[in-house]
Amino acid sequence: MSAEHEVTFPAMGSHVRLLIGGAGPGLPSAATAAAEAQSFVADFEATLSRFDRDSELCALNRDRRECVPASPLLRRAVAAGLVAAEQSRGLVDPTLVEEIERAGYFASRAWMAPASLEAALAQAPARRPAQPNSKARWRQWRVDEEAGEIVRPPGQRFDSGGSGKGLAADLLAMKLAGYRSFVVDCGGDVRVGGVDAELSPRLVHVEHPLSGKHLHAIRVSAGGVATSGLDRRIWRDACGRYAHHLLDPATGEPAWTGLIAVTALAATTLEAETLAKAALLSGPVGGAELLRRHGGLLVHDSGRVELVGSLARRPRVRLSQTNATLEVAA
Amino acid sequence: MTMTEAKGKPKRRPSVAPVFLGSLALFCVLFGLIAYRAGSGFSADATAVSPPTPQRKLVIRRVVTTVVPGAGSEPAATAGAPVEAEAAPVETAPVEPAPVVTSSS
Repeated sequence: MSAEHEVTFPAMGSHVRLLIGGAGPGLPSAATAAAEAQSFVADFEATLSRFDRDSELCALNRDRRECVPASPLLRRAVAAGLVAAEQSRGLVDPTLVEEIERAGYFASRAWMAPASLEAALAQAPARRPAQPNSKARWRQWRVDEEAGEIVRPPGQRFDSGGSGKGLAADLLAMKLAGYRSFVVDCGGDVRVGGVDAELSPRLVHVEHPLSGKHLHAIRVSAGGVATSGLDRRIWRDACGRYAHHLLDPATGEPAWTGLIAVTALAATTLEAETLAKAALLSGPVGGAELLRRHGGLLVHDSGRVELVGSLARRPRVRLSQTNATLEVAA
Repeated sequence: MTMTEAKGKPKRRPSVAPVFLGSLALFCVLFGLIAYRAGSGFSADATAVSPPTPQRKLVIRRVVTTVVPGAGSEPAATAGAPVEAEAAPVETAPVEPAPVVTSSS
């Protein structure tokens, strides 16, 4: 694999890391592409942040009209959130803004030290799988591409937090499609691509939510890898109870399902992020079922790691193919 | 006399010697002919006016199984990568790709 240009910068309440290989014909250099990508991420965050009152998303959430003109990026973000809700059958619900604020997540928690996950698990209520909200407010949302509008009942609010990083990684991957190799890492949601990665699969390490150590390594030649967990955004609310950002849509309360982190593989990072969140909310049994198709990894409350699907196959071997050409008489 | 009984003079069976000598002569003629043709290099290709024999390419595909070495605290897994689960030999890469970490987002 040729030398890659690397850049890391803070964004979206975390860090974004880009690794870009050699440019294809007619493309700007990897350094130029990285600068353009950084500019794109800045625009992405300024448009879609729930914590910036000047963002277009906050303007949408304040707007009292039913049909609100929206930029292509906001329309895309809303459409991505609705796709995630549809694919997760309502578990990854982008309309739980009131509930997440009530739980204590009304401002960015970037760079704030998280509460102790072990202590939270010790005090958490009985574990049970999350369920979709019976009202399914997200079904009342619609993106009208012809009119360039977002249509929804006034007063309902949207949170791009459940799908934003995955969407950003996928949009950046589209911009970097002509480069020999690239990795887009949006705060732990990763997208891998490029012909070099197909020849030499990229090693993606999975971090354990309790120890912080690398618990597993996955070779990825193309596609998305995303992890959803309780360890980074966990706090104590005004009553001293532990809370985190992954809510049970049925109750609007933080979900305690028996899993503390899930890593999912999929063709895109958005899909991987959706799968990881849906699997964590589904609990150990339902989560394993969701990950079975593309493969993934569950971390139980005890810290035990469970490999699912393609990651569970042992012995772990790589199969490659060589061609030999022989000249033989007809 | 019954209706099935043959009438007239009964047929005489040929003697052994002429039959044996005739068969032997026929065998020798045929054997000689075959030996002559074989000795003169007879074959369909030799007698036919045809272009040189074309060469046919056979591609033999071999599957190579390689145990993936460990990485991190546990051995690395061959990812069922979402789109392309398996890949070509990693030996073609001159530089090891930079490590990437996925963690709770």
